Amino acid sequence: MNSPLINVCDVSKTFVLHNIDGREVTALQNVSFSIAPGEHVALAGSSGAGKSTLLRLLYRTYTLTSGEINFCLSSGDWVDLGKLTDPEVVALRGREIGYVSQFLRAQPRRAVIDLVTRAGVSRGMTRNDAREQAAISLRRLNIAESLWEIHTSVLSGGEKQRVNIAAGLISPPRLLLLDEPVSALDPENRERAIDLISQLSEAGVAVLAVFHDLDAIARLATRIVVMSHGHLIDDGPVHSILPQLEPTDVHP
Amino acid sequence: MTMTKSPIITPQAAIRVRGLSKFFGPIDEGAIARTGPEFGTARDPLSGSIVAAWDVNFDVAAGEALGIVGESGSGKSTVLRCIAGDQPSSAGSVHLMCHDEGRTNVLDLSPAARRKLRIDQLSVVYQDPAEGLSLGVTAGGNIADPLTAAGWRNFEAIRVRARDLLDRTEVPLDRMDDIVRNFSGGMRQRVQIARALANNPPIVLLDEPTTGLDASIASGVLDLIRGLLEELDLAVVVVSHDFGVIEMLTQRCIVMQHGRVVEDALTDQLLEDPQHPYSQKLVTAARS
Amino acid sequence: MSSTVDEIAGPPQSVPFALLDEESKREIRRALLQAVCIPGFQVPFGSREMPVARGWGSGGLQISLAIVGVNDTIKVIDQGDDEGVNAVNLRRLITSSTGIEETSETDEATIVQSRHRIPEDAMTSDHILVLQVPVPEPLRGIERNMKELERMHAEGDYSKMWVSLYEDKVRNGVITQTTGYPCLVAQRYVMATTPIPRWDIPRLHQAEFLTLFGAGREKRVYAIPPFTDVEPLTFEDVPFEVEASNGAKCRLCGSEETFLVETPGSESRWSCSDTAWCRRKRTK
Repeated sequence: MNSPLINVCDVSKTFVLHNIDGREVTALQNVSFSIAPGEHVALAGSSGAGKSTLLRLLYRTYTLTSGEINFCLSSGDWVDLGKLTDPEVVALRGREIGYVSQFLRAQPRRAVIDLVTRAGVSRGMTRNDAREQAAISLRRLNIAESLWEIHTSVLSGGEKQRVNIAAGLISPPRLLLLDEPVSALDPENRERAIDLISQLSEAGVAVLAVFHDLDAIARLATRIVVMSHGHLIDDGPVHSILPQLEPTDVHP
Repeated sequence: MTMTKSPIITPQAAIRVRGLSKFFGPIDEGAIARTGPEFGTARDPLSGSIVAAWDVNFDVAAGEALGIVGESGSGKSTVLRCIAGDQPSSAGSVHLMCHDEGRTNVLDLSPAARRKLRIDQLSVVYQDPAEGLSLGVTAGGNIADPLTAAGWRNFEAIRVRARDLLDRTEVPLDRMDDIVRNFSGGMRQRVQIARALANNPPIVLLDEPTTGLDASIASGVLDLIRGLLEELDLAVVVVSHDFGVIEMLTQRCIVMQHGRVVEDALTDQLLEDPQHPYSQKLVTAARS
Repeated sequence: MSSTVDEIAGPPQSVPFALLDEESKREIRRALLQAVCIPGFQVPFGSREMPVARGWGSGGLQISLAIVGVNDTIKVIDQGDDEGVNAVNLRRLITSSTGIEETSETDEATIVQSRHRIPEDAMTSDHILVLQVPVPEPLRGIERNMKELERMHAEGDYSKMWVSLYEDKVRNGVITQTTGYPCLVAQRYVMATTPIPRWDIPRLHQAEFLTLFGAGREKRVYAIPPFTDVEPLTFEDVPFEVEASNGAKCRLCGSEETFLVETPGSESRWSCSDTAWCRRKRTK
């Protein structure tokens, strides 16, 4: 196995609800695992197991309560994501670590092609290259060219999700976090999206993903990490873990 | 794995704010100790003085937007006005990379020198267009103001520049020679933004830029601002009580309550995992 | 015992030379010196009550009285006319309180006091031009707040003036301001040339003579020292133009190259505004 890109060590996350009598809700407890470049790790577990929490911790959308998340930068230096300053996280996002959620985040009314192109430019592509690549991705995701100059706000849910994938996967970062990226897609477009995502591993991108169906896991993942009630309960290759999973184990 | 210097290169600050404070009335250490979120007030019960802002710190880089969130009276607009020079500050420092390469604390400059900064280094877009515009002057004339202040003396060149800016901010060009008083609220705000950008300032401060506009109009203005942020590589500070605005425009923000910064956070982190009780209350209120 | 008016009034007092007491004249001269030192800057002074109403040339009159000496010769014009009622009154006041000579010929005069014009004849370093000013503040129509006006002058922040010129040009196609055209003096202060016409503005630029402006009601004096730059504010691509006569001639002397004014009612309606100049041309 390659040397890891990211080491998640003994990570816990507790939410303190100050306005509900300071109640503490522990979402993750002592989770450890690592991901190497080119690996595609699927997170499995029933609803509330802590899958999305883990993704958000790695993206620093959630603060870390304890543990370390050591990440190897492209420079070869290691950093603990939990200890970075906010400006450092901003600098890291996009180029080093990307996050594709099932929703298109708040975006200005911007043309589809423009949105995807900008994502590429923000990761260091030239404008021309980014636009070319954006066109390729959109075509592969079956976004009709007649929609390219239209504002994303008027697209259907499925179209938005595909645009989101195109933007997230263009000039992909070294670690990509996918949160149910194909959940809203019809079968045909789901195929196309999965096809595009499957290429990430070949490009050496490390992927940590939450899917809502076993089929996607079977086709994309190289490894499965199983979560339950905030704990990591299993971690292994797809062929050994997949047979033990029930459909409810991936239900969001 | 102990590191003295971060291996992550973060962009240089275009504006650096340290220890910025603003008092109304005489303040001593006791007054600081008797005010703030723990006491639920910015007003010192003994002296009656007000600690409108205390020890505010942040950096903003070019191409970045920082939000200041809080309820009215939290001190967020005070901070903005102190940076802009609209109000004298009581303590602290503000360094602008565009001025003397960041060596000068601009709070120490004379009022005249502060005002000069406003010509081409630091612009403000106010909630109330009447504060940033002359309502009795045409849209073009409002843009001619900062241009002539910067030394523009060619009428046609001023016209061309004003036209470009109004076009960029999506103000119909056939209204360029109408006085701003006859404009709708959203259109006034676009003119104000055009004016703020007239001399390509590297820093823009936005004070509740869409508050008071109808939702559909506000979203159009927000789109515009967001696009400008991305294209012009501006360093932006945006004050708003509206999380929609903060989410749309900023990557990082600070939360103020009773004159104090109670949390600084990545914007998505503040919305998803607010740490301070007050932040949690604000986010919950905004989301419900 | 009966008291008479004379007794109550006390012993008769002689009227001082040039009407004003020496202290007053000195105070005005000090203000004028400051004005000369800071070309275009409005210097406040303690405007006196004069035997003419404020707004009727009391500012110019105080300047003339403060600077006049026994060897001076005074010319006073109103609208370019030596025989205007106001001109006559002011001239009488000056000559009767000083005993100096009066003239209508510019080259004979040492002090020329005027309201609306600069005489057509070239003036030299032998002349002092005293202009009576109704509104000394060039930014008056643009900014009302006195503090802000002060600040704008102090910082040389004249962008609002430029905006008003811009607006004028946008609305009217030209800059319409005629009399009192704002000028930048010595690259520093914007000054009101009120109320002379545009025609006279170029004659202030690098002039050989000293010009003193007095506003009695507003209690301000200002000055243009000899050989000072006086530039009318205008855009690079919008040339400053003086009033065009459009081929009109003076109905009396036939002049085309002087500032002409319209006389209502008469057949050929134009005539020289400078009556002394016009008369001399006719007698030649």
